[in-house]
Amino acid sequence: MLIGIRDMAKLFAISVVCCCAVFVCALFMNYNIDIGAVKDEITTPMGMVIYDAVVATGKVVVGVSGGCLAATTVVLLIFYVKNYIDSHGKELGILKALGYSDMRVAGHFWVFGISVFIGTGVGYAGAMGYMPNFYEAQNGEGLFPDIDPEFHLGLAFCMIVLPTVFFMLLSVFYAFFKLKSPVLGLLKESRNVKIKKGKFDDKDLPFLSDLKRNTLKSRKSLVFFVGFSAFCFSAMTQMSMSMNELASDTFSWMIISIGLILAFMTLLMSLTSVVKGNGKTIAMMKVFGYSRRECSGSVLDGYRPVTYIGFIIGTAYQYFLLKIMVDIVFADYEDMPDYSFDFKALAISLVTFIAAYEIILYIFGRKLDRQSVKSIMLE
Amino acid sequence: MIEAREITKFYGQGESRFQVLKNISLTIEDGSFTVILGTSGSGKSTLLNTISALERPDGGNIFYDGEDITALSDSELTRLRRDRIGFIFQQYYLLPNMNVMQNVKMGADLVKPAGNKDYREIIEAVGLGEKLKKYPGELSGGEQQRVSVARALAKKPKILFLDEPTGALDEETGRQVLDYICALQNEYDFTVVMVTHNQNIAEMADTVIKMNSGKISEIYTNDTRKNAYEIGW
Repeated sequence: MLIGIRDMAKLFAISVVCCCAVFVCALFMNYNIDIGAVKDEITTPMGMVIYDAVVATGKVVVGVSGGCLAATTVVLLIFYVKNYIDSHGKELGILKALGYSDMRVAGHFWVFGISVFIGTGVGYAGAMGYMPNFYEAQNGEGLFPDIDPEFHLGLAFCMIVLPTVFFMLLSVFYAFFKLKSPVLGLLKESRNVKIKKGKFDDKDLPFLSDLKRNTLKSRKSLVFFVGFSAFCFSAMTQMSMSMNELASDTFSWMIISIGLILAFMTLLMSLTSVVKGNGKTIAMMKVFGYSRRECSGSVLDGYRPVTYIGFIIGTAYQYFLLKIMVDIVFADYEDMPDYSFDFKALAISLVTFIAAYEIILYIFGRKLDRQSVKSIMLE
Repeated sequence: MIEAREITKFYGQGESRFQVLKNISLTIEDGSFTVILGTSGSGKSTLLNTISALERPDGGNIFYDGEDITALSDSELTRLRRDRIGFIFQQYYLLPNMNVMQNVKMGADLVKPAGNKDYREIIEAVGLGEKLKKYPGELSGGEQQRVSVARALAKKPKILFLDEPTGALDEETGRQVLDYICALQNEYDFTVVMVTHNQNIAEMADTVIKMNSGKISEIYTNDTRKNAYEIGW
């Protein structure tokens, strides 16, 4: 097989994102299906109002969370396939030179979809296991008839099989598209570097500023992921804390857990790629006598503003999402408490984020320190 | 002056451990052109890496103007490389997503005061004045090596270490690169220490150190140095 187990292990982030997406979607969709079956048994006007609000909430959560996480998985998968082709250009180029067709080589990339299968499978199983608690929390005020979670084969198919097949096909066709480049383009590493000349190329900036800018410019997908991780952290932690009066503790914990897992998985995956992708640059800078601070700073510091932008967007996103939920979805519910921006949650989230992010940057800075010129000479 | 005394270096561990450098002692005079000559596996590149402070020896001492650099910390070695040493490698190791000017500034920005523009002169001197905005992928092998020469010299090193600088180049381009290095040495008066397996290139040096199986087998000086177009290939 062309792609080994070690390569598969790197797709852990995809499994985690899929797991979170399916866990959330399966909970709400299963509940909506089950509660829909007993809708006729809800007799009180307040019960009907809450029923409509709960169903609408489910749809919003599934649409927003599922949609965002599915889009993230698409970007992640494309990123991994592209990364694999870039870093294995020589092997793939040799296969093409030997006469293997693009489709035959690309066909092996179906295994990338296994990460989706594992993630969705675990997510669905987790959702099934957690469902009794979730059902109880959803009916905290006893306005609905008691219902037990039912297993819906169609839902399982849509949550596990369809995404797996879709992402397997996506991997194969994207790899096919990437492999259409000429054999020499794959064999020669320097040809893999896309040159995009920008307006700053003519400016006589200091080397470290140029490097910082080029590091960001050359790997835009990583910029997205770093920003996304800050977005997840900000949105999910603040949402969880702001929801104290709006939802159950279980719901808050679920949101904060998913947010933290997503944020850290994405950040760790991105920074690992940053370190790996800049190893040669750092090694050469060390040879020339650049200090540790200059080496790690030139590669990692550029991402700091990106994280703060992600954090700000996350803050705005969670505020407007909760505002919409309270003002529109639960508009008819009389006991709904007022919702206003939670500055305490913002402060806690921001301080925690800065501390966590700086510690992670420090650890990855130390990782960059360990790059030696010997290692690049041996390649 | 660089002085190495009884340098030893091992690679590997356990049963696969082997000695690459066996009690090497040598002296390199300021402003000289020294060639370390040897076949593949003779330990010449390891010797270069060790005396240039890229790798620490397992035994022995290396002195730069009387200062024992084997006793320096990592940050002090970084400072030493920053202030005094330039490197040119066989594989160039240019930064692929930065153009000629930006690659050369990697060396130039280490020279104080910051923001010096002398690097443009060096780019001109290696014949790449018209290709400032070109990226490594858009240059030939010879041009890339000339960029790495300019990058190394832009930091105004006192010692220039070269590891098989013509190893990946054809004859004509190889001669051209060597000629640039000699011309720039005459102009800037730095010390050159070059590793090569090419016996002919040794004729360009003041001093030749021949390596064999981790030991110095011979050290000799050339009465007259040939230029890059006088040597065989």
